[in-house]
Amino acid sequence: MSEPTAPTPTTTPVVPADRTIRPRLRLAMVGVVIVAAVGFLLVKGLGSSLDYFKTVDQAVSQKHQLGTSTFRLEGTVVPGTVSQSVNGATFDVGHSTLVVHVVNEGSPPQLFKASMPVIVVGHFASTDSTTFLSNQIMVKHSSSYVASHPDRVRAGDGSKN
Amino acid sequence: MRRTLTILGVASVALVALDVILGLWVTPPDADQGELVRLVYLHPALAWVALYLAFGMAALCAVLYLWPRTRSMRFDRLSASAVEVGVVFIGLTLITGSIWGRPTWGVWWTWDARLTSTALLGVLFLGYLALRRVPADPEVRARRCAIAAIFAAVDVPIVHFSVVWWQTLHQGATVLNPNLTPTIHGLMAWTLLLSFIAFTTLFAWMVLMRFQIEELRESGEDVELTRALEARRAEGVAS
Repeated sequence: MSEPTAPTPTTTPVVPADRTIRPRLRLAMVGVVIVAAVGFLLVKGLGSSLDYFKTVDQAVSQKHQLGTSTFRLEGTVVPGTVSQSVNGATFDVGHSTLVVHVVNEGSPPQLFKASMPVIVVGHFASTDSTTFLSNQIMVKHSSSYVASHPDRVRAGDGSKN
Repeated sequence: MRRTLTILGVASVALVALDVILGLWVTPPDADQGELVRLVYLHPALAWVALYLAFGMAALCAVLYLWPRTRSMRFDRLSASAVEVGVVFIGLTLITGSIWGRPTWGVWWTWDARLTSTALLGVLFLGYLALRRVPADPEVRARRCAIAAIFAAVDVPIVHFSVVWWQTLHQGATVLNPNLTPTIHGLMAWTLLLSFIAFTTLFAWMVLMRFQIEELRESGEDVELTRALEARRAEGVAS
């Protein structure tokens, strides 16, 4: 049996193969994850259309093209047309001079009221109808903030603001 | 530096506390949104810090690093510090926006251009942080990260103008709108301004703290390297 010999020193350090590969692999993995995440967001968010909704005017002018396909419709709730029940709500939404009648299934959100701009998700009842059947209402509130005045005398319609 | 950090720390805590007090108890409810409006004293200021201060600063420092005349590793560290803080703020922006969106819009999240481009910005800067963790020579890493920061920051103007360029569920800007006419008045406007100042101060404090930690870490690594070299030299002399 010979005595165990000390390892011979080398002039150039031997770098394990995995140490040179690992940073590149990690760089590639980071790249793949970022590209996948960005791709998902672009496809999901911007894939169909950059415009989130069609206004009442746009929807009415493109009615034959839209048919009964599902899309988002934006308009302002016409005062005096809101009728709420346990199953949902019916109301008219308008934009300039055009109006679409909306029949919604489900409860409207907290801020839903007359004169508020809303986006409804659904489709026209038929290619000839101006009734829009929706299953979701989103309230598109403005960027203006005005203090409410709780002490103000109520208006004729019962509102305070 | 220590004194500056103390002053910034105390000032940011005091200003954020004042913002919370005014926002929750002193300002009036909104005519349309009622009590929900109180998130306006938090959410826009968080977005301001993330988008314009943090990512703007990260991109500026990245340019200064890449520019041969101004190249310094300090710009690389400052850029990385701004991105780290910015990612925290953009996360908070998305969370507070979602909390606000549920009762006002009626949904926690939707894929409109503003929300999607903001989420995209968060992912891009998370990618920057992941890139920074990839082992590489410090100068190679700094160059890669500077290019990544500039690339990601291209999304900032897209986020800002998304509500102008496209039809979105997200409302337009209240203060930095195309007419530069704030559509908020009185105490509500002053509290909104205070929230911007408070979170800007907090951002400055956090970035400087993070930058100082990074400087200490780098100098610590230099000390370790010097010690290791001296030890190897001593071994060489002994043999």
